Amino acid sequence: MGSRRRIVIGAAPGEAATFQALVAEYGSPLLVFNPAALQRQYHLLSNALPGVGLYYAVKAHPNAHIVRTLDELGSGFDVASAGGMEMLTELKIPGHRTIHTHPVKKDREIRDALRFGATTFVVDNPGELAKLVPYRDRVGILLRISFRSDHAAVDLSRKFGCGLDEVSGMVASAQRHGIHIKGLSFHVGSQCTTADTHVEAIEKCGELMLTTSQTTNAPLSTLDIGGGFPADYGLSGIDIDDYCRPLRKMLAALPDDWHLLAEPGRFLVAPAVTSITTVTGKSERHGVMWYYLDDGVYGSYSGQVFDHAEYPLQVLKTGDTRPSILAGPTCDSIDIIAEDIQLPELEIGDLVIGRQMGAYTAATRTRFNSLPDARFVYAGK
Amino acid sequence: MKYFRETLYDSICQNFRIDKLYYENRADQQHLVIFHNARLGRVMALDGVVQTTEADEFIYHEMLAHVPLFAHGHARRVLIIGGGDGGMLREVLRHPVEQVTQVEIDRAVVDMALEYLPNHSAGAYEDPRLQLVIADGMDFVRKAGDHFDVIITDSTDPIGPGEVLFSEDYYAAAKRCLTAGGILVAQNGVPFMQPDELQHTACRMHAHFTDTAFYCAPVPTYYGGFMAFAWGSDNRELRATPQATLQARFDKSGLNTRYYNPAIHQASFALPQYMLDSLAGTD
Repeated sequence: MGSRRRIVIGAAPGEAATFQALVAEYGSPLLVFNPAALQRQYHLLSNALPGVGLYYAVKAHPNAHIVRTLDELGSGFDVASAGGMEMLTELKIPGHRTIHTHPVKKDREIRDALRFGATTFVVDNPGELAKLVPYRDRVGILLRISFRSDHAAVDLSRKFGCGLDEVSGMVASAQRHGIHIKGLSFHVGSQCTTADTHVEAIEKCGELMLTTSQTTNAPLSTLDIGGGFPADYGLSGIDIDDYCRPLRKMLAALPDDWHLLAEPGRFLVAPAVTSITTVTGKSERHGVMWYYLDDGVYGSYSGQVFDHAEYPLQVLKTGDTRPSILAGPTCDSIDIIAEDIQLPELEIGDLVIGRQMGAYTAATRTRFNSLPDARFVYAGK
Repeated sequence: MKYFRETLYDSICQNFRIDKLYYENRADQQHLVIFHNARLGRVMALDGVVQTTEADEFIYHEMLAHVPLFAHGHARRVLIIGGGDGGMLREVLRHPVEQVTQVEIDRAVVDMALEYLPNHSAGAYEDPRLQLVIADGMDFVRKAGDHFDVIITDSTDPIGPGEVLFSEDYYAAAKRCLTAGGILVAQNGVPFMQPDELQHTACRMHAHFTDTAFYCAPVPTYYGGFMAFAWGSDNRELRATPQATLQARFDKSGLNTRYYNPAIHQASFALPQYMLDSLAGTD
């Protein structure tokens, strides 16, 4: 099995010294956060989607430094759990700048979200709608629609979302209960390679909102286009403005008084965090070089299991390459970051760099083998 | 923070200019803010919801204190559950009561109000008739051995720390702490925006009091028109106290009020039709 993973061999002038200095100061393994990269991504996406309110999907990387950086840019926040709301509360971010997007909720979670000040909720079936009826005078509901994408790395429309044909029935039922469905939301999936499904979803939701609004006295006016904007795991230089061009065209055709929002996570935060791990052991087995690192798939590289991501890897030296395997620190044989890759021979103490590691990395790490978490380092000014 | 934006409703919100921020705290998953607003004076908000302002607190406190006390006519012992800002205590102590027990869950609320909202208590916390108890209100009424002629629930909204003070268990336990023919009153939200709250309280109180009713007053910063106050007693005659009797008691008290008077007292029990419609079938 050949890997399509991007491997970078060697470092730009000064780059190796920077990584080594970070490890000398903070130890290893590290996750190094560069706020300037996050700011850049936020501006790129805001400019590519004018008129669309951006709500950072906090679950992608629920970290206070990241949230604070986005807060300073005026971002909104998409929260799906009480833990997410607690963090925003501590950072003094008011509830009106958040939306609660988990389609399945306990009553206690609804009450806590309302108390926090989040009044937008997402539902995708009549049972979930019924849970919000006691709070009907306070909440605004988005109906989540399922759109299956053939171009997404992670399909988010299998587990959640109702069909377009169910919308009119849900809107009518909501009206009978005196609860307001203010619009539709969808998630085309994560890490989409083209905007085709996004465009189709906007078109179909837009049409449906218009026709539904004509037959009801409670117009649908909010469209949440979700996330799915890709991170550059191939280091090939994704042009987000280019990617969003067909979306912009479609969104521009919608009525001016509609409220548009998106829930980017991965696109914003992936390039803003870099993993640094250290080779702690090596051995040659059956002609292949095995390198044992101090971080792995139970830690920062957990997204390789849960998120199907293949992060670009970098070694700082150059030289003749050999077939190599990078393995994580746990005793489990699935704890392998990369195999069938060609690397120059590494020594114990050498650093291995993981790029584009801001999204769904630390967020899904485990406590397996009781290994310490990679330390989060803020590399801002 | 330059503005305080209330976060009660998804499609409507009130926005208050912050002219001076006095206090902000986000411990214990609670967000408490006290600020000055040019029109309203000092404003206290908890978890994104305005609790009290210096400009209009008199309407709320006068109506929740004087209506049961003048209707009762000779209350000696009064229990206040909540009310840490001290406004309710101030109004109750203007009556010739022998003892007021106030149960506040958090001493910090009282200290904070003394420092930043001193006009609310206006010295009431120094009154020797006060017994201040720092305890959970529900626990207190469940375990209390004392009896009170009037109990006033001055709580936050049912979504938040005051949730248990809207439960049937609370009404039952509070009833047990009342003297024969005593009165329980409680803030009960703004029915135009929260009609369910009216229905729930009516059903839950009805099981424990022979006379359950609501009266109302408009508090400008509680968006949505009239605020409702729940009333429960086993003495039906108290709610029907003649206006002449109320007037005599009011005159004798020598109180100067800004919202309450005996005519308003009686009129406040007349409910608008939308509230009566909400309540239909609850008794």
